[in-house]
Amino acid sequence: MRSRALLFACAFALAARAQSLSHKVTLPADSPVTLMAVDWGGTDATARGGAFFVDVRASLSLRNSSQKRVRAITFAVLSQEVTPGGKGSVSVPSLDVAPGDVFPVGIDLRLLRSIGGGAAVEVKLDGVLFDDLSFFGPNSLQSRRTMTVWELEARRDRQYFKKILETAGGKGLQDAMLDSLSRQADRSWPGMQMVRGRATVTDPERELSFAFLEMPDAPIQATNGIARISGSEARAPRIEIRNRSERPIRYLEIGWIVKDQQGREFLAASLPAEVNLAPGRSGQVAQDAALRFPERTSIQAMTGFVSTVGFTDGSYWIPSRASLNDVRLRRVVTPSPEEQRLTQIYQKKGLNGLIEELKKF
Amino acid sequence: MRGKAHIPETTLALYVPGDLPLWRRALVRLHVARCAWCRQMVDVYRSDRARLREIAAEMPESVNWNKLAAEMTANIHVGLAAGECVAPRRRKQVSVGWRPAAAMAGLAAVLVCAWWLNMPSNTTQELGRAFHAILTGRGGVNTFPARDGRGLVVELSSSGIDLRENGSLVFGVSQDQAKLVDVSASVQGSASARYVDDKTGQMTITSVYAQ
Repeated sequence: MRSRALLFACAFALAARAQSLSHKVTLPADSPVTLMAVDWGGTDATARGGAFFVDVRASLSLRNSSQKRVRAITFAVLSQEVTPGGKGSVSVPSLDVAPGDVFPVGIDLRLLRSIGGGAAVEVKLDGVLFDDLSFFGPNSLQSRRTMTVWELEARRDRQYFKKILETAGGKGLQDAMLDSLSRQADRSWPGMQMVRGRATVTDPERELSFAFLEMPDAPIQATNGIARISGSEARAPRIEIRNRSERPIRYLEIGWIVKDQQGREFLAASLPAEVNLAPGRSGQVAQDAALRFPERTSIQAMTGFVSTVGFTDGSYWIPSRASLNDVRLRRVVTPSPEEQRLTQIYQKKGLNGLIEELKKF
Repeated sequence: MRGKAHIPETTLALYVPGDLPLWRRALVRLHVARCAWCRQMVDVYRSDRARLREIAAEMPESVNWNKLAAEMTANIHVGLAAGECVAPRRRKQVSVGWRPAAAMAGLAAVLVCAWWLNMPSNTTQELGRAFHAILTGRGGVNTFPARDGRGLVVELSSSGIDLRENGSLVFGVSQDQAKLVDVSASVQGSASARYVDDKTGQMTITSVYAQ
């Protein structure tokens, strides 16, 4: 009798784990990529409290069915689009997929879904970027902008390393790779929390001004900025900007560098903003968000720098390699996805493998 | 300085006849060896005790020792007989057999099995960290300051990105087969993690959205 009860309990535990999970991949009818195969092997849902935790582990195999080379692709991964925690995305930058070629995209993340309506997950194409910077897709996650900036950074960095190869030879390229690897390893990261919305702050607050790194070729000049500091939290950043270019600007991103009590600097977050700034006009970027650092951290200073500018004609400005060679930026700014990919190739395949890769473009 | 505090007189009074527990006796002895005032009090109690013994030894002349001994013996017999009448019944010894133990072990196995099958590994890890923090007294679960109850929190660390609500993990990015090379946050409410596949070298960027 007792052993029957145990068997029943085991069966109940297994049944609680197995939830019926529906999943699908959605591509538009005129999609430039075709789904060849999909493996949902590790995807499952677990009911906890009033929600499903949907663990999405899928591997897609896609074919470039367009006539152009694919440079980047983004998929939205949705369990419940309007629920916080119900939406994620997976992007693959630095691709070079010729027409007709097949390429993989791996997905591995966890989403949340309220328990009513069962467990379901949808992987939906958000955008494809081609080598001529043209774009296809619904762009609901602003993936066009993100992928275009990645591609511009990739071109800039490949050009930079090719020039080093031409002028300083293999030894020069090797030194540049070792320097990049060393910078990537040295970047400090204390851990951080980011919260949107207004805070109910009980600790005393102070205002701390931003210092700005001047980039002479940047179309935007940041003139003044402050954030409110309370303990180890910095919130409500507000930055005054001026368009010093001759073109109207519709988007910009400012990098936010924080210095702690030990003198360590790290790139805490980016401040993106949709703007409408005519040439010569000034404006303000403000965000209702807070960055929290571990309790022992004391924020001593903050620095800002312009990292991306988008013009109304659809073109973008990104910092040049010369600007990024600033001593402070070199320590804190994340290398582009392409630079990280190239350093990985150097580590795996050596100098000759890297030179072969650079010759492809 | 604690050296200035003296041992209470009640404790010293118990110490002198040896009525204190062993460990307290040792502590009092240590203190008395270093403290002149307490030593003096101990000497006073000892001399009082010796004097009392002497007084007690001098019994009154009128006492009939034989009669007193007979009365005491009779009282002891009466007390023993009365004790037998009111003595509690012996309780039956409960034997702990193997069956209840086996049932408990089975139940524990089912609970462990259900936890292992249903709970994500990071929840188990968090529980482990919580127990570790309780045992060691160090706050190892979350070193971030607890503030207000603002909705979702995007947490970035060298191990990736988590989305938390009221301290509990609701969303995670892992990419088991790949190597994490960077995490970044946007104050508009998103965070991204970059991974490189060790085999193919392909870069994948996974983003989460708090809103």
